Amino acid sequence: MSMVEFKKVTKRFGTVLVLDEVDLSIGAGEVVVLIGPSGSGKSTLLRCINALERIDGGDLLVDGISVRSGKSNVRVIRQEAGMVFQQFNLFPQMTALDNVAFGPRKVRGASREAARKQAIELLAKVGLADRGHHYPSELSGGQQQRVAIARALAIRPKLMLFDEPTSALDPELRHEVLLVMQALAEDGMTMVVVTHETAFARKVGTRLIFMEGGKITEDGNPIDLIDNASSVRLREFLQHVR
Amino acid sequence: MNFDWSVIIDALPALLSGAKLTVLITVVGLAGGIALGMVAGLMRAYGGPILNAISFAYIELIRGTPIVVQVMFIYFALPGLADIRVDPMSAAITAIVVNSGAYIAEIVRGAFLSVHKGLHEAGLALGLPTWKTLLYIVGPVAFRRMIPPLGNQCIVSLKDTSLFIVIGVGELTRQGQEIMAASFRAVEIWSAVAILYLVMTGTLTLVLRTTERRMRIL
Repeated sequence: MSMVEFKKVTKRFGTVLVLDEVDLSIGAGEVVVLIGPSGSGKSTLLRCINALERIDGGDLLVDGISVRSGKSNVRVIRQEAGMVFQQFNLFPQMTALDNVAFGPRKVRGASREAARKQAIELLAKVGLADRGHHYPSELSGGQQQRVAIARALAIRPKLMLFDEPTSALDPELRHEVLLVMQALAEDGMTMVVVTHETAFARKVGTRLIFMEGGKITEDGNPIDLIDNASSVRLREFLQHVR
Repeated sequence: MNFDWSVIIDALPALLSGAKLTVLITVVGLAGGIALGMVAGLMRAYGGPILNAISFAYIELIRGTPIVVQVMFIYFALPGLADIRVDPMSAAITAIVVNSGAYIAEIVRGAFLSVHKGLHEAGLALGLPTWKTLLYIVGPVAFRRMIPPLGNQCIVSLKDTSLFIVIGVGELTRQGQEIMAASFRAVEIWSAVAILYLVMTGTLTLVLRTTERRMRIL
């Protein structure tokens, strides 16, 4: 069974058609990199997976559960699909450690001690063992994004969604975030990543999807697609982002 | 003219008992007003069209009428209208609750809506229901932003209690007025009344400043 299944998914913002009958199946363990010009619908596609955007037509199953099957099922889907945002969105009133421990405490009902222990382990995993007591405002962008990844991992998701995770970062800070993501992929995590990092797509991605005008126009092996893009539009696009 | 300190000393017990009533009306009234404002503000920000409309009508009704008219209505008109009889003290406290609640509702709404949408989404994305996201994530950030305007409203409400002279509540201004009528020492009495108000608002300001300093505004 596939982890994520789009069945003719349609999404509109007002009169604008953002997703146009998208069909897509993502299996467990895949690292799918989504690229495309701005406005092509790639972020919206990602946000439909954990129902931050409601779909207008078709159906979307995450681990067999439909995003249209009610509020409590949507919460189950969100607990199985961790999300990392472009703007980090860390909780500013909490330390890095509390940010990571928050989900297990309030969502999974873990004890204070267990949540804390797990948060310490996760912060160590993203290379921030010594930053647990810092508030988000005291951390660099790259560090904040790594805390955000740890926070998403803390609820033990089966799937991770990344919405332009490095777009708000300086070039030298991108690297540290990409390394954490690469390690995650090597651990076998299923990932869907919206990004412009073609180097990451080549090295870590198992599948590259190019979107345009609300449709998936290319879908294949990242190295093949990047090195020998057959479509003119993809070739043009890759020239601009590189 | 000579400033006669003995007038103030003689008037002080009565003035202080008035100040005590002023504090009582303000504290109880604002406690209710904050509770009411919280509910009305959240209804405005997150309620559906119906809850939003109810809250909006309440806010417009209160903001659009003077507080003196509101307290007169509660004290003099309600008995005729609905056979509800209230003592002046209850009328005064109710007026502060209802009046400050409307202004606080807008403060609450503004503070919650000013919190970056991404924080709300981050909470939802963890699988929390909306109410828990508001309670644990958006609320604490919004609360810090509410402190300055809330402080303003507290001071305004405290001073508004002086208007309840019209229904004969024995608060500070009323006490001053009564002593004045007997002694005709306007300068001494109104200076003392003004200073007592300043002491009360000053204390409030101090409390607010320490709260703000302890909580980092985010």
